[in-house]
Amino acid sequence: MKMKKTDIGVVAFMYLVCAYFYVQTVKFQADSQTYPMFTITLLFGLTTLYLLQMLVAAKKHGVESGVDTIFKDFQPLQFLVCLLGAIAYVVLMHYFGFYIATVIFMAAVLLYLRVPILHSVIAVAAILALVYFAFGKFLGVKLPVGVVIKMLR
Amino acid sequence: MLETLSQMGAGFINALTPINLLMMAGGVAMGIIIGCMPGLSAAMGVALMLPLTFTMKAETGLIVLGAIYCGAIFGGSISAILIHTPGTPASAATAIEGYQMTLRGQAGKALFTACYSSFWGGLLSCISLYFFAPLLAQLTLKFRSAEYFWLSIFGLTIIAGVSGKSIVKGLISGALGLLLSTIGLDPVTGAKRVMFGQAYFAEGINTTCALIGLFSMSQVFILAEKKIVKRARATKFTDKMSLTREERRTIRPTIVRSWLLGNIIGILPGAGAAIACFLGYNTSKQFSKNKQLFGKGSIEGVAGSEAANNAVTGGSLIPTLTLGIPGESVTAVLMGGLVIQGLAPGPELFGKYAPMTYTFFAGFVLVQFFMLGIGLLGCRGFAQISRLSDAILIPCVTVLCCVGSYAIHKNILDIVVMMTFGVIGYLMRKFDLNTAAVVLALILGPIGEKGLRNALKSSGGNPAILFSSVVCWVLIALCIVGILSPLFMGKLEKKATADAVADTGEDIDKLTEEDSV
Repeated sequence: MKMKKTDIGVVAFMYLVCAYFYVQTVKFQADSQTYPMFTITLLFGLTTLYLLQMLVAAKKHGVESGVDTIFKDFQPLQFLVCLLGAIAYVVLMHYFGFYIATVIFMAAVLLYLRVPILHSVIAVAAILALVYFAFGKFLGVKLPVGVVIKMLR
Repeated sequence: MLETLSQMGAGFINALTPINLLMMAGGVAMGIIIGCMPGLSAAMGVALMLPLTFTMKAETGLIVLGAIYCGAIFGGSISAILIHTPGTPASAATAIEGYQMTLRGQAGKALFTACYSSFWGGLLSCISLYFFAPLLAQLTLKFRSAEYFWLSIFGLTIIAGVSGKSIVKGLISGALGLLLSTIGLDPVTGAKRVMFGQAYFAEGINTTCALIGLFSMSQVFILAEKKIVKRARATKFTDKMSLTREERRTIRPTIVRSWLLGNIIGILPGAGAAIACFLGYNTSKQFSKNKQLFGKGSIEGVAGSEAANNAVTGGSLIPTLTLGIPGESVTAVLMGGLVIQGLAPGPELFGKYAPMTYTFFAGFVLVQFFMLGIGLLGCRGFAQISRLSDAILIPCVTVLCCVGSYAIHKNILDIVVMMTFGVIGYLMRKFDLNTAAVVLALILGPIGEKGLRNALKSSGGNPAILFSSVVCWVLIALCIVGILSPLFMGKLEKKATADAVADTGEDIDKLTEEDSV
């Protein structure tokens, strides 16, 4: 199997994680260092082993990008809208509470994904009802009210 | 012996309370819905529903999770039979014969066979659960700190190799999880360790948030990156959902063979329902007197695959509950549920917590009956649900992931952690890293750390204590076997899938393209 260039990113990320945890761990008390050091060494060793495997594969079979297989049929705009939408949803929830944020988030995403209006309304209503009864009533979870709504009250 | 029998009986009495029965029905229905929707997996469903079980009694919570697990494994067969798209990888082999039966106007018969075989496969798998689990749990009585350390490593070596393309990448995932498990205060001295300057991380990473993020939220991102396509319309069937007496007699030996096979596969850590369904299918073909029907719609083929994948459920609970080593992603999530309830796998489950454990076992038996009833009565409805577009699933699952994470501590930061793990999980899946290994490491990490540090403390810091007993060496040997097992399992899976489609002309890549997580 050819070496994938994308795996360089994986290896670099793992080394970065090791470096970050190492820098932090050396500041701990000696006793508290034992186990984190063991896991850092383990991750470092395995990452190095994988790097060696990659180099051998590159020498034997050559190198390929890997991007085209990993991101085959990737829809960048749709993905970005969903990802940013999810992040915005959490922020909205913090300020405006669960119910308002959910309606806005679901309506926006469903609209963007071109779901028919009737289906969208049913989906939003079903989720709100499910959360209200399962979490609100059955589990007694007080869902976020929102900073703004709290202030208005 | 008598005591065990009375505990088993009491377990059934406890399991038969109205609330437990209601939860079984709800769990099975939820599981079937999740299973029949291509794109959603059993592990994702169990992770998503985990927060709902927090306020329940431990046994009820576990019954719900078990019900979702069994329901989802069966549910995958509905879309496999009606739209030729397995809802979960565990039903990939069912699609081969099931869809052919649908084309011949025998969809009802195929669905009945799937439901009936799943029921028997699941029910019979409970036998081994009742017999082997307590015996294996006794073994762990011999474990001390050093052994617990090696056991945690063994668990990781097993899961790390599952479902990934590279063993080393699987192990890297496990090591990353172990490192993440060190976040928070030192569990022994209480000293500060990596906490990113946030008091929130004092207790470490919330395992449930990580679970939901890695399994459920990451799936949302996987769905979001693909073009939304309309699902094929589920075939409307008019034939009766039943089998003749003769047909039932024909599939009986197939079910028994697949049960044995599925059960062994389930007990073996590192193998799962996806492998079992193909092995069950192949064995049914080998032993069938009607080989000419295979590839054209054979009820034996459907029965072989479905009995085997559901037989995995009971078997896979054995190493999970006794040694704390889940063999696959779903049981890793189930074990998370167990740990969250404050319970630890091992002999205590069959001693101090025996009433709870046997209630769960009894519930697991009863779940199979609910699966049969709900499966048969609701097939037509579930078939329509399986057409639900990804465009609707994306926001719905996102909302449930957020609410589920928030419900744990009623802290919005939990949602942020879940979302972060969602992105990490998505990237891990894209780059062939193993999310199940991270989850398992988060659970096993503290056990391993305690074992290592207590062992070193008792030996005055001499690491030789880690190699001081026979059990330690056995566990080390098992770790090596665990690391090498993916090579064997990979070959087994490849051979089984290749054999299964050899004469049918099926496109195996299409059938198994659903993500195995």
